Amino acid sequence: MNHTLSILLQNEAGALVRVAGLFAARGYNIDTLTVAATHDPTVSRLTLSLQCDDDALGQILQQTRKLVDVLQVAHPATALAA
Amino acid sequence: MNAQALKTETTTDRHPLAGQAMSGAEVIVQVLADEGVGVMFGYSGGAILPVYDAVFRYNAEHACADGSEPMPLVVPANEQGAGFMAAGYARASGKVGVAIVTSGPGATNMVTPVRDSMADSIPLVVICGQVGTAAIGSDAFQEAPISNIMGACAKHVFLVTDAAQLEATVRTAFTLARSGRPGPVVVDVPKDVQNTALSFRGTGELALSGYRTRLRAVEQATLGDADCATFFHALMQAQRPLIYAGGGVIAAAASAALRAFVDAFGLPVTTTLMGLGGFDSTDPLALHLLGMHGTAYANYAVEDCDFVLALGARFDDRVAGVPDKFAPRAKFIAQIDIDPAEIGKVKPVGWHHVGPLQRALERLTAYGRAHGFKPQLAEWHAHVAELKRVHAMNYDRASALIQPYAVLEAINRHTRGRAIVSTGVGQHQMWAAQYFDFRAPRHWLTSGSMGTMGFGLPAAIGAQFAHRDKLVIDIDGDASIRMNIGELETVTTYNLPVKVVVLNNVGDGMVRQWQKLYFKGRFAASDKSLHKKDFVRAAQADGFEWARRLERVGELEATIADFLAFDGPAFLEVMIDPDAGVYPMVGPGASYAQMITGDFIASRAAAVVREDSSSHMF
Repeated sequence: MNHTLSILLQNEAGALVRVAGLFAARGYNIDTLTVAATHDPTVSRLTLSLQCDDDALGQILQQTRKLVDVLQVAHPATALAA
Repeated sequence: MNAQALKTETTTDRHPLAGQAMSGAEVIVQVLADEGVGVMFGYSGGAILPVYDAVFRYNAEHACADGSEPMPLVVPANEQGAGFMAAGYARASGKVGVAIVTSGPGATNMVTPVRDSMADSIPLVVICGQVGTAAIGSDAFQEAPISNIMGACAKHVFLVTDAAQLEATVRTAFTLARSGRPGPVVVDVPKDVQNTALSFRGTGELALSGYRTRLRAVEQATLGDADCATFFHALMQAQRPLIYAGGGVIAAAASAALRAFVDAFGLPVTTTLMGLGGFDSTDPLALHLLGMHGTAYANYAVEDCDFVLALGARFDDRVAGVPDKFAPRAKFIAQIDIDPAEIGKVKPVGWHHVGPLQRALERLTAYGRAHGFKPQLAEWHAHVAELKRVHAMNYDRASALIQPYAVLEAINRHTRGRAIVSTGVGQHQMWAAQYFDFRAPRHWLTSGSMGTMGFGLPAAIGAQFAHRDKLVIDIDGDASIRMNIGELETVTTYNLPVKVVVLNNVGDGMVRQWQKLYFKGRFAASDKSLHKKDFVRAAQADGFEWARRLERVGELEATIADFLAFDGPAFLEVMIDPDAGVYPMVGPGASYAQMITGDFIASRAAAVVREDSSSHMF
C-alpha cells in the first residue's frame, strides 16, 4: 500500500542522508522525496512516499523516531483516519 | 538539562574554569575530565594531534599524588582494539567508554566497534580527528566521510564545523550515549576546529528538542493501576509463566528489581546471551541461556510455558529464529523495553510498557504484593526442576581428548561466576555462555548481536582498566584471537594481569560445525591445520612470562590452577578435541521442539522413554 510520511528534521549537515540511509538499510524503497525549509530556517520538512504494508509502516515510523535529528514523524493518512 | 541548562548559569553552579581561554582540543579534554572519564583508548595520527597534545598536557598538569595520570590514554595495536577496549570498559563498568582516533583509516578502523556497540546497546563516545574544514570533500590525505559512514551505524554522529558548538557537542555526546537505549556516539572534529581559540563555558548542551522530548516521555512513563491490573490478571491465569530476560536488564541496572519480582511471584527466568548475569544462573529458578545454543531445559521450558514476560529482550533471530514457533503455547506475551521500536517488532505482544525497566519492575512488584497476588506455581517449579535434572548440560567425560567443556568447568570451579569473562565469537563463546556460572551483571562481555571475532582480547583489556583488582579472563578461540592478536602486546605493555585462554581446535570451529551439518563436511576455508602459528611463542614474544600449551587431559586441573594463580599476564593455549560441537543446537528454521541435543544431553523424546515419572503436566 502507498504511504506518505511527513518528517520534520533539524537542518543539520547529514540529516537527510541519515533518514534516506535508514530507509535503505532497512529495505524500504522510497518512491518520492521532497525536502524544503520551513518558516524556521533550522527546521526542514521532508515528505516522502513509499510502498509497504501496515506492519512494516509501523516499524519504519518507530525507527525514524529514533534518529536524533528527527523532530517529528507524521503519517497524515493515519492522522486523518484516527 | 538541555534548554534549561543553557539558561541557568548561576554563580553557584558556575564551572571554575568558565571564561578561560582554551583551544578546541583543550575544550574537548576538559569536557572529558568533567564527565568523569578515567581512561581513554586511542591511536594517534595527524588530524588528532592537537587533542593528543592537550591530553598529554592535562595529565602532566593534573598528575595524581602517586604520580599517575588522571586520564591515561591507552594505545592499542590497531584502532579496532581501542574501540573494543572502550566497549569492554563500558560493558564491565556501566560507564561511557571513550576512544579517540585520527581521521581516515583511524576512524574507519573504528567502524566495527561502533556498529558492534550499537547492536549491543553499549554507550561509547568516539572522538575522531578530521581533515581541516576547508579540505573536507577534496580527497585530502587521510580523509574519509566519517559522518556518512558512522551515520549508518552509530546512535548519532556529529561533524563539528562550527567551533562555537564544539563544547556543547562533546557534552551532548555523553548524554546521548548513556540515555534511553544506550549506544555509541561519534564526534568528528576537523583539525582547524581543534586549533580554534575558544572561551570555555563549562556548561550547556545542544537542544536536540526532538530526541529530548521523546526521551522525557519514555523516562517519565509509569505503569498505572489499570496497566498493572491487566498484567496480573493475565499472570494469575497462567500456570506456566516464564521470564525471558535480555541485555536490557543489565543496561537498566534492573537485576535487583528482577530478583525482587521473582522472589515475590516465583517466575522462572531464562536469559539471552546479552542477559547473562542479569539473574543469578545458580538460582533454582534460573534456566540459564535460551535460543539456538541455549540449554535444553531452557528451550523446553519456552516450549512448555503459557505466559512470557520479555524484559529488555528483542526476540532476535538467535532466540526466535521462527517467530511463529517461539513459545507456541504462550497464551499471553508481555514486554517491557526502553525502545518503543522493539515492542511487537518480531512477535505480537498482548501487553507492553515502554519505560525504565527497574522502575517498571518495582512498580509491578509493589502492586502485586499490595493486592496479594501469589501465583501457585508449585507444579511448574517441579516441572522446571525436572527439566533441569533430566536435560542437564553434559559431554563426553571419558574422552582421551581434552573437551572444551571440561576446561571451562575447571575454570569455573575457581571463579564461581565472580570473574569477568570476555570472549571472541564462535564455539568457544557458546561453550563459555553454557558452562560458566553468572552471578552478577557486567561480568560477561561478549559480542552478542554483531558477533565480531577478535572482540575478546581488547574487551578484556578495557575491563581490566575498569576493575584493576578483579580477575579478568579472555576465553578465546584460535581463529578469533588471530583477529586482534596484536593486542597481546598491549596486555604486557600496561602489565595487566589479564588471563588469556585459547581453546585451539585448529580452525573456525563453528563454521566447521555448520559445514558438517549443511555442506556435507566440505571445510571451505575453515581448516587451519596447515597454519604455522605457535601461539605460546607468540605470547612469549609479546612479553608473557607465563605462557603454556596444555595438551594432556591429566594435566588439566593443575595447569588451570597454576594459570589462574599467576600474578600477572598469563596465556594458556589448550589443544581441544577438534570435533567437539556446540550442543544443544536449534538449527536455522527449526523450532525448539526440533532441537538437536547431541549424544550426551537427553532430548525430550528420549527422556520420555526413560523418565516415565518426570512430569505429569504434559
